[in-house]
Amino acid sequence: MTGDIVRAAQMIGAGLAMIGALGAGIGIGLSVQGALEGMARNPDSYGNLLTNMILGIAFSEAIAIYCLVIAFLMLFVL
Amino acid sequence: MTENIRKWRWGVNRWWILLFTILGIIGANLFAPVRPHIQVAPENVSHDPLFSLPVFGDFYLTNTLIALVVLDIVIILIALAVRNATSSGQLVPGGLAGAMEALLEALYNLTESTAGKWAKAIFPWFASIFLVVLVGNMMKLLPGVESIGVLEETKKNGHEMIQIIPGLVGAIIAGEVHGEGYHIIPYLRGLPTDLNFTAALALISVFMTQVIGVRAQGIRYFSKFFNTLTIFKRPFFGFIDFAVGLLELISEFAKVLSFSFRLFGNMFAGAVLLFLVGSMAPVFAQSLVLAFEFFIGLIQAFVFGMLTMVFMSQATHGHGEEEHAE
Repeated sequence: MTGDIVRAAQMIGAGLAMIGALGAGIGIGLSVQGALEGMARNPDSYGNLLTNMILGIAFSEAIAIYCLVIAFLMLFVL
Repeated sequence: MTENIRKWRWGVNRWWILLFTILGIIGANLFAPVRPHIQVAPENVSHDPLFSLPVFGDFYLTNTLIALVVLDIVIILIALAVRNATSSGQLVPGGLAGAMEALLEALYNLTESTAGKWAKAIFPWFASIFLVVLVGNMMKLLPGVESIGVLEETKKNGHEMIQIIPGLVGAIIAGEVHGEGYHIIPYLRGLPTDLNFTAALALISVFMTQVIGVRAQGIRYFSKFFNTLTIFKRPFFGFIDFAVGLLELISEFAKVLSFSFRLFGNMFAGAVLLFLVGSMAPVFAQSLVLAFEFFIGLIQAFVFGMLTMVFMSQATHGHGEEEHAE
């Protein structure tokens, strides 16, 4: 019985941890929006913008990945 | 030499796809896919430790260690093939050597546009991290990785076993998962799904960033962290500069965390996704996830190398604020 409650708490905790991915999703969307607008106005800057966009996406994605790691820790390790 | 134009063999390839789909359906019916036990730490292949150290404890032969050896062999073979192709006297390399030349040239141009005259010092780190992470990510997608291994008896989460060749080859089949049974310890496991590997790469990357910074600026590089240049001239803003420098020092340690967890999290999430989709819809859906994971692996390898390169080229530049703060 107590094991079941702990398991349920782990599941709920993992689900709650992934709420943090919300912010990363918004951030990635905003950075891609900015980069695409820049590319549409100035197509010559495509390569430069693309690498910087990928860098920015990597930074904001890291936040979501932290949440994912915490969720995995709750599900599979604890 | 006439140019050799290969036609896109769409007409043949679709029959291959049909054949493999039918084979997949037959295979999924013969051996129903097992929902695997997911474990964050890499599995020990052997029961006896490889060697023991007094403080750290025992070191086991884990399956990611075997994967690391395989990865090294693959990269050395690529290097030997490229060396053979370039030393054979042909000016225009073809095949693998041509692909590697195109890849490395693109990476070098990227480095040169960011780092300028320090490109020659930074490029080897960028390219080798990119290649190691790329091969490691791609190795996860091969069939047999994380599914062929030692069958072992276990007390919990075991599956039933059927013997294909008695005494030699067996397979675990779906069924009751609680209780005694067998489970697989795979010989190979995707390398970046081990946190040790990604943390080691992150430590190498951040440490070499400091080394390149010191090479470029000498002892002045550390004024980025302990900023005492302005603290006597203008006490208030100098103190703020000093605190900002300490924040820079903390962010240098945070880089290790973010490097290692970014790669580990992406690759481990991919592995879990492959496991779950493969156990729920084993026939066609997994190929789409495989294609997605191919893309993610490429992007993550590029991001790891690219961030290393950008941090290194930032370290070669001066602090910059002393010049235009006045």
